[in-house]
Amino acid sequence: MNKELENKFLSDFEANQNIVHKICRLYTTNQDAHNDLFQEVTIQLWKNYSKFRGEAKFSTWMYRVALNTAISLYRKSTRTVKTQDINDYTFKIKTVDYDETEELQLKALYNAIRKLNDIDKALIFLYLEDKPYKEISATLGISEVNARVKMNRAKEKLKKILNP
Amino acid sequence: MDLDKYKKAWDNQPEETDTVSKVDIYKMAHSRSSSIVKWIFIIGILEFILLNSMYFFVDMDEANKEYEKIGLGKFVFYSQIIAYVILFYFLMKFYLNYKRISVTDSTKQLMAKIVKTRKTVKYYVLFNLSYLFIIAVAVAVATLKSHPEFTNEKTLVFIIITAIISLIMLVLLWLFYQLVYGILLRKLNKNYKELSKVDNLK
Repeated sequence: MNKELENKFLSDFEANQNIVHKICRLYTTNQDAHNDLFQEVTIQLWKNYSKFRGEAKFSTWMYRVALNTAISLYRKSTRTVKTQDINDYTFKIKTVDYDETEELQLKALYNAIRKLNDIDKALIFLYLEDKPYKEISATLGISEVNARVKMNRAKEKLKKILNP
Repeated sequence: MDLDKYKKAWDNQPEETDTVSKVDIYKMAHSRSSSIVKWIFIIGILEFILLNSMYFFVDMDEANKEYEKIGLGKFVFYSQIIAYVILFYFLMKFYLNYKRISVTDSTKQLMAKIVKTRKTVKYYVLFNLSYLFIIAVAVAVATLKSHPEFTNEKTLVFIIITAIISLIMLVLLWLFYQLVYGILLRKLNKNYKELSKVDNLK
C-alpha cells in the first residue's frame, strides 16, 4: 500500500479515535483489555482501508468495523477485575470544565450499559451517538422495524438498570 | 424516567486523555491480529493436518498387506483416492469461506460467515468419522468372511468389540471438537442468536 494512503489513514484515524475509545470503554472493563481491543480495531481498520473508497464518511465506516471487532472478533480476557478498577478506568478522561452531576450521570450510564449484552450495547451506543435507524439497521444487518423493536427493549433494560 | 439527562451527559462527555499518536497507530496497524477469525483458520488447518497425519503413525505397507489378505486391497485403495479428492474440496471451501469473511459487512452477515467457516471443518470432521466407520465396518465384515470357522458366539463378540471401539473414538473426537470451538465461539454464538431472535419477531 502506498505512503499517501497510509498517511491519510493515520490522520483520519487519529482525528476520529475517540469513537474507538468509547467502544473500548463499553466493551472492556480494564485498561489492558481496552488497549487490546483498541489494537485489534486498528489492525482491522488498516487491513480493510484499501476497500474503503470513501462512499461513506470515514467515521461511519469506523463505527461498523470497530463494533464488529468488539462484538464478533475480539476475545475477552477472562481475568476478573475489581469494581474499583472499573471506576478508575472509565474516568481517565478529561474532567476539566465538566459538570459534576453530569460526571456522575456519565459514570452511572457507562456502568449500566456494560451490564447489557453485546448487541444491546451496540444499539444503545448507536442511539447515544445519534445514528439514524437506517444506519443502525445497516450496521447490524437487521431490518429497520426490528432495529426499532430491539432498541425499545434495550432502552427499557437500560432504564431498569439505571433506576431499579 | 427518561434517558434524556443521561443522553446529555453522554453528548457532553470529555474526550479520552490517553490519545494514541500517529506513530502508535502505525505500530498497532502493523501488528499481528489475534482475532477469533484468525484462530478459527489456524485451528481449522491444524484439524485438517491432524486428521490426515494419522496415516503416518500407521505402517501403511503392513496395513495394506492385511487389507490384501482379507480381500480389501482394491476397496481401500480407491476409497482413499476418493477421500483425498473430498479432502481437497473441503480445504478449498474452508479457505474460500475464510477469505469471504469481512469485518466491513454488517454484524449479522459477518457472524453468519464466521459460523459457516467453522461448519466446513465440522462437516470435514464428520466426513472423516464416517469414512473411518465405513472402513471399520468393511474390515470387520471382510475379517469375518475370511474366518468361516468363527462360531456365532465369536462373531457376536467381535461385532460388539468393534462397535464399542468405534463409538469411543467417535465420542472422543466429538468432545474434543466441542471443547475447542465451544471456548472460541461461545460469545459469537450467543450474539448471533440474539440478533436472529430479533429477526424472528416480525
